[in-house]
Amino acid sequence: MNETTLQRLFGWRHAFDDAATVWLIGGVVGVLVVAALAIAVLAAAGKIQGPLRSELVRRLLSWCVLAPLMLGPVLLGAAWTIGAVTVLSLLCYREFARATGLFRERLVSLLVVLGILMLMFATFDHWYALFMALIPLCVVVVAGIGVIADEPKGYIQRTALGVFAFLYFGVCFGHLGYMANDNGYRPVILLVLLSVELNDVFAYLAGKLFGHRKLMPKTSPNKTWAGAIGATVLSVLLVLWLGPMVFAGTAVNDPLYLVVLGCILSIGGQLGDLMLSAIKRDLGIKDFAATIPGHGGLLDRFDSLLLVSPAVFHYVGYLQGFGLDSQARILTGG
Amino acid sequence: MDPWQLKPARDLGLSMAERLASTRREPGLGEALGHGLWSVAVGGMLRVWHRLTVLGREHVPVKPPFVLVANHTSHLDALVLSSLVPWRARRTLYSIAAGDVFFETPQRAFLSALLLNALPMQRRQMGRHALDDLRSRLVGDPCGFVLFPEGTRTADGQMQSFKAGLGMLVAGTGVPIVPCYLRGAFAAWPRTAKWPRPRRVEVRVGAPVSLGEVADNRDGWMQIAKATEDAVRKLGEVPAAQ
Repeated sequence: MNETTLQRLFGWRHAFDDAATVWLIGGVVGVLVVAALAIAVLAAAGKIQGPLRSELVRRLLSWCVLAPLMLGPVLLGAAWTIGAVTVLSLLCYREFARATGLFRERLVSLLVVLGILMLMFATFDHWYALFMALIPLCVVVVAGIGVIADEPKGYIQRTALGVFAFLYFGVCFGHLGYMANDNGYRPVILLVLLSVELNDVFAYLAGKLFGHRKLMPKTSPNKTWAGAIGATVLSVLLVLWLGPMVFAGTAVNDPLYLVVLGCILSIGGQLGDLMLSAIKRDLGIKDFAATIPGHGGLLDRFDSLLLVSPAVFHYVGYLQGFGLDSQARILTGG
Repeated sequence: MDPWQLKPARDLGLSMAERLASTRREPGLGEALGHGLWSVAVGGMLRVWHRLTVLGREHVPVKPPFVLVANHTSHLDALVLSSLVPWRARRTLYSIAAGDVFFETPQRAFLSALLLNALPMQRRQMGRHALDDLRSRLVGDPCGFVLFPEGTRTADGQMQSFKAGLGMLVAGTGVPIVPCYLRGAFAAWPRTAKWPRPRRVEVRVGAPVSLGEVADNRDGWMQIAKATEDAVRKLGEVPAAQ
């Protein structure tokens, strides 16, 4: 392991080397402070009261805990980032498995968990070929080993759910972790996290101000066309504003490419949100769990990241590549 | 072709603390792994430290639903009865434990859930519907229960009379009750001792109690409790194997 790799993985002293990181972290702190002030002012003016006020306060407090948990590992180093993404994958898988009943299928569950841990190893090792090979291999293992139990009843369901869960919670989130193999990973991951979370806020605000026509009333009754379009426009503007700082000196730093990136972040985020809503409607549940006060389960909070992570990874990877100048196969050599 | 059966966990939506103390708790992969490792360790300890002898193992059911009952002499009892059940059936095996003792604090609830795979029975609120949750799990999941109908551990080694709770749980369900008699566990770990002593423990398993048609009312519950108590006492009358 060379010195550059060591610093990428564990070098927390370099957390703020990049000016874009300082701006992005400052932005997050700023958003939280502005939100706290806005709630205080609106509450003092009597505009929000009772349950709405306590709900907003609960959400804000949850964010004050969540934000350091999300941003801390990114600042500490790539190893922490990959570890945090793996924990997120496992916890989200747990929520999904408990909501669908897949957790009762112990063998499939074990294989999915092992698959997620293998993805973490491939990511940490910076072994892209293994990372990509694990996708079909885990599908083969879940489908193949599942036969050995000699219980054909329910085979399609448990195999399909296992493969679905591995692809969403292992592979999709795994791409977010894989971004940490780039030496300048911090601003890119922070931009993804910040814009995806603000995208939700933009959709909420635009929907409240201009929303009339429902977007998908059967899937998510509160979402409107105005909210969706407003969020896309505002997210594109956000990426156009922050992008030149994050991608300075790279191929992505082009207004057209940044507009496309903004669209991917916004539309991918909204589709991820709607996808999890569809799953919840299908299951007849309101929240995936009661992990985060005011938000529900982790999946209810991180649903927008699911589709965005692989989409952004491959888009940015196509334009400029990820981790091309980083040491590959750190542990396995070769 | 059967339609897809998507059955969310019974405890979905409960916080961690609520979940641990809930009769709706269903263990996941992590808890199952933790409990499995613990069970292996306990199995080893029972064999080495207590020279556990099992008689009548053929009566232990291999598939749920069933209720294993025994005289309650020590904290070893639930561990011994659980160790009798084949591994495949153990994933749906729960020990029914006093809510006011084993689930009083979140820490105790955590240990009871992880080590005993225990579900709480609230002794102070025993009513007609108090056991509905446990009843529906016994038949609906289905699962196996380890239960001590005396309600508490013996203070002097003598078996006490069985309470009606067992009857409330199984009356009208047709779930087999398997009587067991524990010998030596009181000497190994009486109430007064902090840790178990190296004494021999023997468990004798009897044939399931045949109840026929029993009404789901107080008379029926008492009838079940009496028939089961008689079956356990009868097992206790057989002299020890060693």
